[in-house]
Amino acid sequence: MATERDIGLFIPCYVDQLAPEVGWATVRILEHLGHRVHYDPEQTCCGQPFLNTGAAGDAARLARGHLARFARFDAIVCPSGSCVATVRHRFGELGFGEQGDEARQRANTFELGEYLVDRLGTPDLGARFPHRVALLQSCHGLRDLGLGPRSETGPDAEPVRNVVEQLLGTVSGLELVPSSRADECCGFGGSFAVKFPEVSTRMGRARLEDFSAAEYVTGTDVSCLLHLAGVRAHTGTGPIPIHLAEILASGLGEAKAS
Amino acid sequence: MTARLDQRAREVLADEDAVRRHDASVFDLRQRRDAAVAEVPDWEALRERASGIKRHLLDHLDRYLERFETQARAAGVRVHWATDAASANRIVSELLAARQVRQVIKSKSMLTEECGLNPVLEARGIEVVDTDLGERIVQLAGEPPSHIIVPAIHRSRFEIGALFHRTMGTPEGESDPERLTRLARADLRRKFTEADAAITGVNFAVAETGSIVVVTNEGNADLGMSLPNLHIACMGLEKLIPAMSDLPVFLRLLARSATGQPISVYTSVVTGPRPGAELHVVIVDNGRSELLASDGHRGALGCIRCGACLNTCPVYRKAGGYAYDQPIPGPIGAVLAPSLRAKEGGAELAQASSLCGSCSAVCPMRIDLHGQLLAWRRENRTAGALERVVTFVAATAMTRPALFGAAGRTAANFWSLLGRRFAGNPAASWLHGRELPEHPGESFRAQWLRRRETPK
Amino acid sequence: MVATKGNTEVSAREEILGRIRLAALHKARHPGQHPPPALPGGWETFAGRLESVGGTPHGPVAGAELRRMAFDLASTRAGDGRIVAEPTAADWLGPGPWQLASDAAIPHAYEDVAVGFVRGRVACAENGAVAVAGSDATSRALLVLCQHLVLIVSVDSVVPDLHAGFAALPADAFGHHHLTWISGPSKTADIEQALVYGAHGPLTLDVIGVER
Repeated sequence: MATERDIGLFIPCYVDQLAPEVGWATVRILEHLGHRVHYDPEQTCCGQPFLNTGAAGDAARLARGHLARFARFDAIVCPSGSCVATVRHRFGELGFGEQGDEARQRANTFELGEYLVDRLGTPDLGARFPHRVALLQSCHGLRDLGLGPRSETGPDAEPVRNVVEQLLGTVSGLELVPSSRADECCGFGGSFAVKFPEVSTRMGRARLEDFSAAEYVTGTDVSCLLHLAGVRAHTGTGPIPIHLAEILASGLGEAKAS
Repeated sequence: MTARLDQRAREVLADEDAVRRHDASVFDLRQRRDAAVAEVPDWEALRERASGIKRHLLDHLDRYLERFETQARAAGVRVHWATDAASANRIVSELLAARQVRQVIKSKSMLTEECGLNPVLEARGIEVVDTDLGERIVQLAGEPPSHIIVPAIHRSRFEIGALFHRTMGTPEGESDPERLTRLARADLRRKFTEADAAITGVNFAVAETGSIVVVTNEGNADLGMSLPNLHIACMGLEKLIPAMSDLPVFLRLLARSATGQPISVYTSVVTGPRPGAELHVVIVDNGRSELLASDGHRGALGCIRCGACLNTCPVYRKAGGYAYDQPIPGPIGAVLAPSLRAKEGGAELAQASSLCGSCSAVCPMRIDLHGQLLAWRRENRTAGALERVVTFVAATAMTRPALFGAAGRTAANFWSLLGRRFAGNPAASWLHGRELPEHPGESFRAQWLRRRETPK
Repeated sequence: MVATKGNTEVSAREEILGRIRLAALHKARHPGQHPPPALPGGWETFAGRLESVGGTPHGPVAGAELRRMAFDLASTRAGDGRIVAEPTAADWLGPGPWQLASDAAIPHAYEDVAVGFVRGRVACAENGAVAVAGSDATSRALLVLCQHLVLIVSVDSVVPDLHAGFAALPADAFGHHHLTWISGPSKTADIEQALVYGAHGPLTLDVIGVER
């Protein structure tokens, strides 16, 4: 029987293939906080890319598989806001119920940062990162999961905590560099990046320019950060993209081999 | 293959200064909007109220349309119905022809842009003068508007000065916005006083009283409605609101969302014609009843054409209005294009979004714009047979972990190859302005199996 | 053929309404009146907002002071130009250098007006707008043709928000062709977002608050 200490680790496809270090940073953080991390190597994709290109049937097959794979956990944690947003908010489009076990499981799927802030009270992980860091608020985390305040809302909206800022506040030596457009999209957008490369990369360049006073840019989504890294590698300027989990895990040792 | 919008954007984005100016001007509108919203203590409640009223209205649109017609007629308005753009254009041009109208002054109406009214009237020998300054600029330049609120936002003061010099004979080299505005004012005053008829759009129509509401900053619609003895107002049938007491809800949202003003300079509630004059209202369907019938898209009929979704949209700000190649650009334009069918290529625009969701968050009517784009992607999958097969195979591979893992290892081997620029590289569009990230060599899954699991 | 055209329009109406009857769900209820927001009212708030939208507040004034202020404004704004007052405004102002507007005149008769005086019915503090009733501006063209517009409102008519503004309108407000809210002088920012007052309508807008 899984307990609250048992966490189902949800590693999105692009983290698996292109940024395994982000997966390991997530493992180190959760294990350091006393959790048992369970990774099912049989897991695949949540279906987001298919949902976003309109391939609902293909997405549904993946979504069904995903839910079955993680059914036994009370907490499922993932180092990606957009994949969590897909599970939590968009499986409904595919006809997955809003009630019962499936609904509970969707609600218990967390982005790493929000799990740390909302469930674990913003723990100090002893991280040290003596650099100027800019914050990329990835759109799905911000607007679907509500990880921080949105620039569009009126004064009578419910106040929202700022997950990433709160966590970065625990990191010693880190200086947060303000951005003139706090929640502007970086231009990734999945298939958008490939179908609209001219606009997508121009958007990416604009974000890097906005962050130019920083040495690093961090956020909750590997996909956005990889896109920015690609643009940065092409133009040769701008801060280095780094995932939030890697900064937070900077004071922790290597993950143990069991 | 990259999308057509991206190819058109390539021309725009080649001029770095123009991109920066456009992006900054449009984002400035967004920031003005934010500052105005911050002063409204009940902003989110207003959005909720407005979208609730509109939902009620659309659910009872048949009754409210009939009510409006009855009340407007009682006030002396002639009401006309047009099923599509062609019939709207025919109604207007026949009204004008029957009264031997030679000159028409027009204030901004996105509906008549959608219907393509101007060329129809011009073909009948009628001079049509757009009087909104931005509309006048693009009319003189022979271009369509590039934004629904600020039609000439893509043009610099120098381009506009040169255009005025060429078309109106203003002094060469004049580029001061105030003096250019004065020159246009003088030129258009003459047009206003000479005109035989005025055509305006309609911002709202009140069913309870049969009134139409027309909103401008420049006063051009009011001049049009005050001077000639014939006024033709063209409205999409979704412009109705139930009662006069609902109007302030929408007015408090409209100008703040559009330009950050607390209200537009002129808000004219017109009930019946001026004494001795004629007022005709043309109610236009043109695809709207189809939207109403579609659960997934009905919400788009709540749009009050404030332009906030354009101003916040990073794709619109970078690519510019012309890249959309539709009468209405930006997120709402992409949502409406497949139904309004003003031009070919509308369906593809559903792809022209990074799905950042800022449009939906900024929309005063709480239209789920990016959700609607996704709905269009589902309904109008433009994917050819090959793309469908590839998608199916990819999804199948992903449901079978062993295959997924194998594909991952294979991908790693090909990765460095994909990162190079060569003819036929399937990753070519990623490599446009971007490099491929380095491959770590071993996936998380492989590392986990090696480090944590006993080999089976 | 007139008959054919008429029939086409009748069938268009039936076609459209038929489609809409099929699509209308007849479900969602009207959410009711919007509760008034907590916004400040009063002349000072209105005056501040009016300035922010490019208008110029004057007053509050009373009695003879009103007439003197109107004289001053007329001479500053008009120079030697023609001054016209709507009859309901002239009732408040008394005799002066202004001609009375006449609804018998064709609208083009106001083309050369330098200053127009018109009475406003309600002033709205949240947006600096003044409601001009059709019955007080029967010569509607005067509102937009004059180079400088002066609106005269009672300071008691200031309401905090636009909901209250509509509620405070006279009962026959929508029985006279037009009801026009005016917030500041006409303006445009269509050239590079540079704000310019005096687009097509008046170059300036003065609002005199009157204590009665």
